[in-house]
Amino acid sequence: MDLYFKALGMHIKTSCEYKLSSIINFIAQFFVMFSDYFIIIALFSKFGNIKGFTLYEILLCYSIIQLGYSINDVFFKGLDDFSDIIINGMFDRLLVRPRSLLIQILASKVSLVRTSRIIQCIGIMIYSIINLDLELNLIKVIVLLLMIIGSVVIFFSILLLMSGLSFFTVQGLEIKSLFTYGGKQIAQYPIAIFKKYIVLFFTFVIPYGLVNYYPYLYFLGRNDNVFYAFAPLGTLIFLGISLVVFKLSSNKYVSTGS
Amino acid sequence: MRLYFNLFKNKLITNISYRMSAIAGILTQFFFGFVFISVYVAFFESGNSDLDLHKIVSYIWLNQAFYGLTYIMLKDNDFVSMIKNGNIAYELCKPINFFKKWFSTFYGIRVANVLLKFLPIICIAMLLPYPYKLEAPVSIMGFALFVVSLIISSFLVTGIAYIFHILIFFTLDDRGIINIFQVLGEIFSGGSIPLYLFPGFLQTIAYALPFRYISDLPYNLYTGYFSINEGISLITCSIIWLVVIVIIGNILTKLALNKSVIQGG
Repeated sequence: MDLYFKALGMHIKTSCEYKLSSIINFIAQFFVMFSDYFIIIALFSKFGNIKGFTLYEILLCYSIIQLGYSINDVFFKGLDDFSDIIINGMFDRLLVRPRSLLIQILASKVSLVRTSRIIQCIGIMIYSIINLDLELNLIKVIVLLLMIIGSVVIFFSILLLMSGLSFFTVQGLEIKSLFTYGGKQIAQYPIAIFKKYIVLFFTFVIPYGLVNYYPYLYFLGRNDNVFYAFAPLGTLIFLGISLVVFKLSSNKYVSTGS
Repeated sequence: MRLYFNLFKNKLITNISYRMSAIAGILTQFFFGFVFISVYVAFFESGNSDLDLHKIVSYIWLNQAFYGLTYIMLKDNDFVSMIKNGNIAYELCKPINFFKKWFSTFYGIRVANVLLKFLPIICIAMLLPYPYKLEAPVSIMGFALFVVSLIISSFLVTGIAYIFHILIFFTLDDRGIINIFQVLGEIFSGGSIPLYLFPGFLQTIAYALPFRYISDLPYNLYTGYFSINEGISLITCSIIWLVVIVIIGNILTKLALNKSVIQGG
């Protein structure tokens, strides 16, 4: 873990060398992510509510999912671009070093200009909470934190699964964008607004629902079930499976020797 | 002119040979189509609205079917790296028109992107059950106008994308400011949602910009949101914009090439 933070420091120093470029890109990233929020706001200006959820409830829900995605995008970018490491032969180099594989992969790339997305998410989150007029107590704050952590864990696990897949094929990019970007599109809204089969898929296969629906009902005070509140912990099972898959497939790796 | 047509044809043939990626692309477009429609269905189930769900659903499928053609943010890495690694010097030695060459290349890529995908998407979407079904066009005249405006749109979007590319000569960075322009263009083209869903003042802005002729106009002609008469006058406007964009593209090309400095090497 020390290694990762050292690498993080180096990445920060690199982007400080190109100040203007970094600042402009920082602002640009802010705009790039704003278009999704814009669509939500535009739709609510025409429709008013979606299955009983109001604008600020949806904005809060989306900002939680988006935050998990952005944190992965900034700090775990190396995992996102893992197929490049396989294609250009870098992976052989990682294997001979006496350090944990995963840490090395994570340390290989950090995309700091995208921290503006994180700031944006937190801003929207706070803004929505203020407008929602909720009674916050300690448990609810913990649930909110759990939801954020769960959201990070889900995206991390998907990236890990897809990295495991890239030992066998590097053609899997479309699937990855379906699961991450497509999943994010669905998880903008609490999944229960969708049809039954979508809800089941996103509860038991890719557990977005455990983050943005069941605990969210508790957070909004619509349900008092404690199991709902701690549902985000279920994403750890998903993480465990992904870790095992990654481990098994990395053991299968055969270098081409080039 | 033959030369530029051949450039277009070459790009088309190269890019069309990736059959598997076309199939993967079709699946992706379907997935996103379903997601977007599910959201609208949920919105419509939550309350009455004076909007027409069929029109929005048809709009989404057309947008998915022609996405590769009308996607503003499409970036050509050959062009970007040419500027960064200095190969632009060879480019300038060639006795060809810079604008025409890259315009036909970009056009070839866009047409190839969409050629294998749009028919399967449209055919399958037409067979889907309600409410996911792509409706047939409202009238033959509306359909004819849709085709005409889509063809103009394809030239217009290529011209606009060309301008975004030529701006890299001035910014020397293919992200940053250019990204901001692209995102704004994408939103105002109707590539995410139809412009008539925009809140009041933004709608006014969107209708004044040239981007609206890229996605919003053709698809809304198909769905019948715009009447035939409105369509004809809007298509005329889009032709004027196309001429303006081509002129701006040429002027920027001149400026860019005059000021460009090849740094040794």
